[in-house]
Amino acid sequence: MRRSTAAAVGTLTGAALILGVRLSVQPATVPVSSAAGGSSAEEPEIDAAGAEKTAEPEATATKKPAGKKTTAPEKNEEEEAGLKSGTYKGKAVQHTYGTVQVTIKISGGKITAADATFPKEGFSGTINPNAVKSLNASTLKKQSADVDAVSGATLTSGAYASSLQAALDKAA
Amino acid sequence: MRHVEEVMGTVVSIELADDLPPERLVELVGSTCAWLHEVDARFSTYRDDSEVCRFRRGEIALADCSDDFRHVLDRCADLWRDTGGYFDANGGGALDPSGYVKGWSVEVASRRLADAGSIRHYIGAGGDIRMRGSGPGGRPWRVGVRHPWEADQLAWVLSVTDGAVATSGTYERGAHVWNPLTGKPAEGLRSVTVVGPDLAVADAYATAALAMGESGLAWLAQRIDEGYESAAVTDDGRAFTSPGLPTVD
Repeated sequence: MRRSTAAAVGTLTGAALILGVRLSVQPATVPVSSAAGGSSAEEPEIDAAGAEKTAEPEATATKKPAGKKTTAPEKNEEEEAGLKSGTYKGKAVQHTYGTVQVTIKISGGKITAADATFPKEGFSGTINPNAVKSLNASTLKKQSADVDAVSGATLTSGAYASSLQAALDKAA
Repeated sequence: MRHVEEVMGTVVSIELADDLPPERLVELVGSTCAWLHEVDARFSTYRDDSEVCRFRRGEIALADCSDDFRHVLDRCADLWRDTGGYFDANGGGALDPSGYVKGWSVEVASRRLADAGSIRHYIGAGGDIRMRGSGPGGRPWRVGVRHPWEADQLAWVLSVTDGAVATSGTYERGAHVWNPLTGKPAEGLRSVTVVGPDLAVADAYATAALAMGESGLAWLAQRIDEGYESAAVTDDGRAFTSPGLPTVD
């Protein structure tokens, strides 16, 4: 039971990625509505349900997934939230367009990244593996570093004076 | 050599890292600024005698406009299509290509500098930056991305040699980033940064994704194959990055 959780989550995420269904509840990763979505348009309801499941890690908070772990847990304190931190590989699933394996990363009890891999060999070519791309959840840091320029600093000359870019220009 | 020029309603920072004689660097900065002022005179929506304003009033036909003007309008039309209507130079009711002109003029300025012998420089216009070659000391340029809530902090530091970095954020204009398809203020994303080969495109993509709201994240992921990486922060503080974003840790 426990063992299967991560694999199931992975498989369902994979189905969502393949069909381009957006994870709307908690988009830990944002799948692209790929061209493949169009040809599979008759099945969105089933997979939307799958996406909902994968998008709510809290729902399975009482069960700790113990899928095949590929990396060591990152931080012990983050494990309290429910899902054990680490990177989990889902079961390789045979689709008509090839074998798909999904990897999810758990951190702080939440899915922070999901990625689907496609075998280079034996891929049927029905869809381009590159069509399934995502932005990964990342940590919003707050830092002050030594930089040459700042992006997003200002739009107007009025706001410039108080910007980091102005400070850089003065220092030069 | 570093220079700051107030033009196009914003502030442009220019740094030439080339090993050239000082008088040559001064000349190059001068010609760059002259070009930017020429663009301002032609495209400003605040100058009654600009080409944009004369075209708006119907005083000149498109066929009689400058090559640059027609190029800008063509590209705005391309980008309107490529962004599903979310980048809209006519969104405010009257033609306003400013959202394309700023990035395009810097892109042209950088190319002209390269043609004139400056192969290591950056030009930043109101937070949108085009870099060429390596930076000071021969290392890549280090570009900080402004933290979307704290103006004096950075959310990411990027390492770029040849390329552009553009950021659009609702923090800049309050609720005045509009979703052109609904006519309502854009919401969902707090800031979007796009990194890629062309500043005008990167800027338009960042603006469009911001207007899309959270669905802009999936749209940005589709731009990766075109060579445009991205970073975005949602209104509730979640951050997303594309796998190829050139971050420095």
